[in-house]
Amino acid sequence: MTADWIALDHAATTPLAPGVFEAMRPWLDNAVGNPASDHRAGRAARAAVEAARAAVARLVGAPADSLIWTSGATESINLAIKGALEFDGRAPAHVISSRIEHRATLDTLRWVAGQGHKVSLLSPDARGTISIEAVLAALTPATRLVSLMWVNNELGTCTDMPALAAALRARGVLLHVDAAQAAGWLPIDLETMPIDLLSLSAHKLGGPKGIGALYVCRRPRVRLSPLLHGGGQEQGMRSGTLATHQIVGFGAAATRRMAQREALAADVLRLRDQLAAQLQAGIPDLLRNSPVSGSPHILNVSVPGVDGESLRASLPDLLFSSGSACSSATREPSFVLRALGHDDPLADASLRLSLGEGSCDAEVQAGAAQIIAAATRLRDFAAGLPPPAVTGLDNLYGYSPAVWQRFCAADAVGSLAGEGVHAAKATSRADGAWLEIGVQITQERVVAARYRGVGCPVTLAAGQWFAEQITGADVSTLQRPWLLDVRNALEIAPEKSHCAVMVDDLARALWSTPP
Amino acid sequence: MPIYLDHNATTPLAPEVLEAMLPYLHGPYANASSLHRLGRASRDAIEAARAEVADLLGAQASQVIWTSGGTEANNLAIKGVMHQGGRLLYGATEHPAVMECAESLMAVPRTVVESIPVTAGGLIALDRLHAQLAQAPVTLVSVMAANNETGVIQDVAAIGRAVHEIPDALFHVDAVQAAGKLPVDVRQMGADLLTVSSHKLYGPKGVGALLRTAPVDLWPLHHGGAQEGGLRGGTENVAAIVGFGVAARLAQARLADRVAHLQALRDRLEAGLAAIPGLIRFAADSPRLPNTVQMALPGWAGETLLMALDRQGFCVSSGSACAIGHGAPSHVLVAMGVPDAVAIGAIRISLGAENTAEHVDRLLIALTALAQQGVRG
Repeated sequence: MTADWIALDHAATTPLAPGVFEAMRPWLDNAVGNPASDHRAGRAARAAVEAARAAVARLVGAPADSLIWTSGATESINLAIKGALEFDGRAPAHVISSRIEHRATLDTLRWVAGQGHKVSLLSPDARGTISIEAVLAALTPATRLVSLMWVNNELGTCTDMPALAAALRARGVLLHVDAAQAAGWLPIDLETMPIDLLSLSAHKLGGPKGIGALYVCRRPRVRLSPLLHGGGQEQGMRSGTLATHQIVGFGAAATRRMAQREALAADVLRLRDQLAAQLQAGIPDLLRNSPVSGSPHILNVSVPGVDGESLRASLPDLLFSSGSACSSATREPSFVLRALGHDDPLADASLRLSLGEGSCDAEVQAGAAQIIAAATRLRDFAAGLPPPAVTGLDNLYGYSPAVWQRFCAADAVGSLAGEGVHAAKATSRADGAWLEIGVQITQERVVAARYRGVGCPVTLAAGQWFAEQITGADVSTLQRPWLLDVRNALEIAPEKSHCAVMVDDLARALWSTPP
Repeated sequence: MPIYLDHNATTPLAPEVLEAMLPYLHGPYANASSLHRLGRASRDAIEAARAEVADLLGAQASQVIWTSGGTEANNLAIKGVMHQGGRLLYGATEHPAVMECAESLMAVPRTVVESIPVTAGGLIALDRLHAQLAQAPVTLVSVMAANNETGVIQDVAAIGRAVHEIPDALFHVDAVQAAGKLPVDVRQMGADLLTVSSHKLYGPKGVGALLRTAPVDLWPLHHGGAQEGGLRGGTENVAAIVGFGVAARLAQARLADRVAHLQALRDRLEAGLAAIPGLIRFAADSPRLPNTVQMALPGWAGETLLMALDRQGFCVSSGSACAIGHGAPSHVLVAMGVPDAVAIGAIRISLGAENTAEHVDRLLIALTALAQQGVRG
């Protein structure tokens, strides 16, 4: 791919694997037919759907008739959890899951709890894993269902599912496994693993978006209440016209991955270790959140002492996630990283880098180099060392030109010392941001100003702007309010004005500090 | 090449739709919820499609909630509104996605579910609806704009007015069959919620939408993620959504041409059918979609006739394209008072944009011959 970006975000979504689009194309081009129709067009679509079902079933070692097509893993997870609990009436049950599940599971469980079921969310250990012992210790006589992800989407940590499945089957408790990140990476053989329900997604393994599957064990038979009622497709468990082209694409992706899973996993593991080694060499205090024993495709790291927003703004050509893609829509720091004990600023300064088919050495090396350069530059801001100016950086997040220009070329970063130097520091407790300014005052005039700090581009630009404004000015200017001016000058939106308020604090502190 | 006459089941993709989808299938890719550049490009494409679908239905973009199709949209509308219990009225000839969904609520505490009878012509019996509305408080009324089997078009605006005479009652319209074949204006219909599906109007399968025009407190079906304002979790099916947008734009731009084309073909078909002795056309005198004919040949069970036509290369349907109800008489015809023995013979012919007069003529020749066989048999 001759791309102008570096793709380290395969755990969010993958491009279609080679051959998948070609398999889908006939079902987009000239094929018409609803797989539920009885004429030849319908039968042809149905045959394609069933061939794909067999292909996806092979990837997880399941009989084909135990797979239900859904619109994706989110629907599969909703169907598994609500369907299992709602079947046979609505008697309150106990469900065990964990705090580091995907939002699809956590949001579903929140709803389930509102329906009167009791939900226990386990905390991970210090490495981010959920142990079998913790699950078994949480069991009560009322426990009907355990729902856990096999591979955590943010960290890549794995739960020992074969052992957990056997332990739960022996105790008569249902197990739902979210395998969206595990399928295609770990060996999965449902013929021998006593898993009751397992959710799959196509677009995490080279298939199209908009299609997923739920494995529903047939022996012993797991019964579900449907989420969608209607025409009775998918054995009555999931009504709705089947999207032939998407299903065929899922089948083609599963077939391809089945053949190359082990080789791909080995290759990606090598790349992941190379990426980790390069990052750790360039950022010695980098925190590696993903265990070495985790899934080969995910590497999660935190960069201490760096603002997450500034880090993301510095990396516009890198495709990665900060937390899971689903939580990026809401901009909350990752709950998985908070569960590991990271505070909000550190969780926010975390990168989930993920690899997949098509990842290569050059991409990994270039990606690591970009991250190291960005982190080093932001640490220059904090240390008061002049950060190198960057040119041509894409202003991906749409900061105002006045902010962006000062973020890219900050010539007032530094620290002053000696006679006549006044210093002040302002901090923002909420996000860990701070600004420090030193001013050299000679004969009631500010003759030099240098600042340093940690914060988002708006905060850093506000520091730069303030230093520019007061240099050469009369000391008395420090006593006026600055917030309105900085907001106007830097075109700061009201919802970001808290990022610049520290300028006011600095001016006030400088003025009130006796010379 | 078989002659495809089953457009109420699904339609082929318009070439322009496929063209628009291609970059999102095998070009730059992205998870639309990701913040990076490609994620933003996907998001822009999704929002453009939202405006196009809204335009087709006289709605605003912010009122469109993407779903995996018409079935999910209908389920979201009905279960999403009825989460606290209440009284639900639905037309007796609704699609299974409404009917089965409504019936699934019968077991739920504090929930009353009633069907609204239809006339012999398949139209909602307005006097009966008025009586049901007056009888007890109503939470939600769900009626389809046009029937998938008979093509019968309801006077949705009149029904909407009746519903809105009742305080707090909400009105859901299943416009899956109407959109693209009739002008659909959600305001004119008085619909608070309206369902539409992409693959019935030359868009891709796997995507649909629920329009929410009033501040209805909907409960999601799919929890997880903040997509669609928290109402519908899950990574967006970007390519399909983009295709749906283009299909909606084409449906609006070409509506008059399509209707004229379909109407002419159907008139030709019906003129020919009138010459086949004993042939029954259902809801023949009711306002109907310009593309739909439901009929029966004496001496033929619908499924057998479908298979006989299939062998000759014609794709028609014996009802809705669903997994249930095989061998049973259509619930739509039964609700219209058609005897089971007659209803069991029904087949549906639904014409589409790519059909020609020649297709119709060849079908008429085949049906005429089969009618004679049926009479002899």
